[in-house]
Amino acid sequence: MSQLLPYLFLGLLLSAVLAWWVWDAIVHRGSAEVLAPQQPRSSVRSVGSQRDLGERIFGPQDWDFVSRETTSEIQRIFQRERTVLAIAWLRRMRLQVSQVMRAHVEAVQQSEDLRLATEIRLALSYFMFLFLCNSLIGWVWFRGPVRTRKIVRQTLQWTVQLRGVFEQLMASVDPASCGVARTNFNRGTVRN
Amino acid sequence: MFTQLLWWAGNAAEVLLLVRSVQGKFYRKYPTFYFYLGSVLLVTLLRFAVFTFRPGSYPALYWYTQYFAATIGYAVILEIYSQAFKKYRGAVRVANGLLLCILAAVILKIVAGAVSGSGWSPGETMAALERDLRALQAALLLVIIALLAYYKIPAGRNLTGIVVGYSFYVAASVVSVGFGSLPGFGPRPGWRSVLPITYLAALSIWCFTLWSYHPNPEPSSGSKIERDYKFLSEQTKRILSRARSYLKMGGEL
Repeated sequence: MSQLLPYLFLGLLLSAVLAWWVWDAIVHRGSAEVLAPQQPRSSVRSVGSQRDLGERIFGPQDWDFVSRETTSEIQRIFQRERTVLAIAWLRRMRLQVSQVMRAHVEAVQQSEDLRLATEIRLALSYFMFLFLCNSLIGWVWFRGPVRTRKIVRQTLQWTVQLRGVFEQLMASVDPASCGVARTNFNRGTVRN
Repeated sequence: MFTQLLWWAGNAAEVLLLVRSVQGKFYRKYPTFYFYLGSVLLVTLLRFAVFTFRPGSYPALYWYTQYFAATIGYAVILEIYSQAFKKYRGAVRVANGLLLCILAAVILKIVAGAVSGSGWSPGETMAALERDLRALQAALLLVIIALLAYYKIPAGRNLTGIVVGYSFYVAASVVSVGFGSLPGFGPRPGWRSVLPITYLAALSIWCFTLWSYHPNPEPSSGSKIERDYKFLSEQTKRILSRARSYLKMGGEL
C-alpha cells in the first residue's frame, strides 16, 4: 500500500496545480494589458521609508511609552489597533512584491537570454517570502506585533535581498524595463 | 449495461470531435492531438471487433493496446508543449531545462533498477508499466501547467480545453491505475468504471472547448515601449493629482 502513496500524491498534486491554473486564468482574464487601478492611499514612498514605517509599527518605542504612561484599557486598545495596522502593512508589502514578480515574469517570458538557475533562485526566494509573509500575518494576528518584531526585521532584510536579485536579473535579461521596474518598486505600485 | 453506455458515449464523442475538426479544418492546427484521438478510436473499434469475433485473443490484445494508448498520450503532451510555449522563448528555456531534469531522473531510476537487479523492470507487469507511463505523463504535465501559471502565459479556449481534459484524465489514471493494481481493488466493478467515466468527462470537456477554433492570444511584445509610456504617464498624472489635492488642502487651511 505504501508504494502507491507517491502515485496518489502525484495525482492529487496535478489536480491541485490544474485547479490553481484554471482559477488564476479566470481571475486574471483580460487583465494582462490593463493597468492596475491606482490605490488612493499608495504614496510615493521609497522602500527605505516603508522599512522605517515597519520598524515604527513593530518597534518597542510606542509600546514602551503606552505601557508606562497609560491604563490597561488603553494598552489593550493600542495592541488591538497596532495589530490591525501591522497586518495591513504586511499585506501591502506582500502585494507590492507580488506585483513586482508579475511584472518580472511578463517581461522575461519572451526573453532569449533568460537563465534557468537565476530564475529558479528568484522563484524560490519569492515563494519563501510569500510563505514567511503569510506566516507573519498569522503570527501577528495570534500574538500581536510587539512580540514579533525580530521575525519582521528578518522579513524586511529578505525583501531587500529579493529586490537586489530582481534588479540584477532585470538588468541582465531586460535592461529596458529594469529602470521602470525599479521605479515601480520604489513607488510602491506596479502595473498589473 | 452502464459500462456499455459509457463505451458507446465515448465513441460517439470521439467521432463528433473528429468530424467537427474536419468540418472546421482545425485538425491542421492541432494535428498531434487529433492523431491521438483518431488512434484511440481505432484501438477501441479494433478491441470491439476482436472481442466479438475472437474473444480468446482479447485479454492479450487489451493489454498491448492499453500500453499503446498510454504511450501515444505523449503526443497530447507534445501538442500542449508546442502550442503553449511556441512564442515564449524565455519560458520555453525554463520548460526545456525542467523537462530534461525529469527525463534524466527517469533514466537514472531505470539504470539504478537494472544495476541493482530489483525494483523497476519494464517486463514486470503491463499494469505496472502503464502506471509508470501515466506517472511520467503526470510529472511532465505538472511542470508544463506550473510554468503556464507562473509565467502567466495566456492560453486560448482550445488549448485550455486540451490541457484541462487531458490533465484531469491523467491525474485520475495515475491514482486509479495505482490502486487498481492492488489485489483488492482491481476486480471491483465500481472501481473499473472510474477510468471510463473520467475519459468520458475529458471528452465532454474537449467537445465543449474544441467545438470551434479559438487561437491562443498573441504575446504583446511589440507594445512594451507603449505600455511603459502608458504606465509612466499614468504615474505622472497620479502624482500631479496628489500634488493638486495637497495644494487644495493647503488653500482650505
